[in-house]
Amino acid sequence: MDFDWPTFFLEIINFLILVWILKRFLYRPILGVVARRRAGIEKAMADARRIEAEARELRQQNERCLAQWGEEKEAAQTRLREELAAERERLMAGLEISVAEERERRRVLDERQQVEFKRAIEEQGIAQGAAFSARLLSRLATPELEARLYALLLEDLHSLRAEDKRAVADAAAAPGLQLKVQSAFALDEGRRAELVRVLAEVTGKALPVEYRKNPELLAGFQVSIGPWVLHANLRDELKFFSGALRHAG
Amino acid sequence: MEAATIWFHIGPFAVTSIVVTTWGIMLALGVFCWLATRNLALDPGPLQAMLEGMVSAMEESICAVLPDRAQQLLPFIGTLWIYIVFANLVGVIPRLHAPTGNLSVTAGLALLVFLSVHWYGVRNEGLRRYLKHYLSPSPILLPFHLLSEVTRTVALAVRLFGNIMSLEMAAMLILLVAGLLAPVPLLMLHIVESLVQAYIFGMLALIYVAGAMQSQQNLERDEKGNEQ
Repeated sequence: MDFDWPTFFLEIINFLILVWILKRFLYRPILGVVARRRAGIEKAMADARRIEAEARELRQQNERCLAQWGEEKEAAQTRLREELAAERERLMAGLEISVAEERERRRVLDERQQVEFKRAIEEQGIAQGAAFSARLLSRLATPELEARLYALLLEDLHSLRAEDKRAVADAAAAPGLQLKVQSAFALDEGRRAELVRVLAEVTGKALPVEYRKNPELLAGFQVSIGPWVLHANLRDELKFFSGALRHAG
Repeated sequence: MEAATIWFHIGPFAVTSIVVTTWGIMLALGVFCWLATRNLALDPGPLQAMLEGMVSAMEESICAVLPDRAQQLLPFIGTLWIYIVFANLVGVIPRLHAPTGNLSVTAGLALLVFLSVHWYGVRNEGLRRYLKHYLSPSPILLPFHLLSEVTRTVALAVRLFGNIMSLEMAAMLILLVAGLLAPVPLLMLHIVESLVQAYIFGMLALIYVAGAMQSQQNLERDEKGNEQ
């Protein structure tokens, strides 16, 4: 436990130098950076408080806007619901009208289809009847039947009404007119001469006659005096009956 | 304990190994602090965080005693703590002796504390008001105040010197008696004791300085107590 004065004084000096060194190179820089950081933190805190206040204000504004928008939305929804209901009513009315029109159209179409179907059935029936009649009459078509039809032709020519006779005479007045006589069977000379005589009586003058055989007539005659045609055969009679039936249907 | 060896002389002063060791500590601390605080950043790294934590802890300790004087007292009190810690711990290194195991060193530190107490007291309170506190609460107590100033300064020096010197001596004795690794637990105790003694020395110095700086407040409190 020795005491050394030089060491004592040197230690005092050394310590004071060390105080200066640490103050210069440790305390001041460290406290400076801490103070700068603290100032930065306080500035950041102030900014954060300011931003928080602004955010709170914005939040209140936002809430007010949201409330206002909510009311506007509610009003708009109510208006939209009313418009939708009105539009729905209008569309439903239009739809009902369309449905009624469509139903009426379908009904008319069905009726027309039924009429068409009925007519088709009738026409088919008439056609079948005509076909059956034609087949039956073709088997009955004989020279004898044609002789009866010849007599019927003459009877018709004799029994023409006065206006018909005038019409036939007017038709025959055309210059260069040639009468055409078609028959299912060949006409003998006696009947030809008689027919020419009767036609001359009806037309009022003797006209040249062209005879032609047409088996499609089945039995009977077709006399053409210009535009005037006299039918006295089974084919045309069948057609006449079929047409009459169709028109009657 | 062998006496400190004289390395060389500077004029009339003989420079001993203790002083050289102190210079080494000063150089190491200075260089380290210069390197560590060259590029301080607001986003600190591990070393800067450690230094900031250490300085802040010392500042807060001073604040706990003298809330408004931390910046003023930090260089002196903080340097006491730092220097005494390193001066104590140097003794752990083989072939080196702790400077604080020498009474000349601790007496020098205690004298600095003694002077700084009056320096801060006069500077803070003014000479008259500062000296007046020696007469408080009664002039009869003046000799005891003066005696207290001397004894607490001597106690500061002897306490630190005695603890560190005894630790080094105990470690040396155990080394001589028990062998190479036997003093290791004692050296660990030396580390703890070094930290504790540095803290005690610095805190006592702080309390003494705080007492001097708050002497006027103490005086007014005593006068108010007498009036009541």
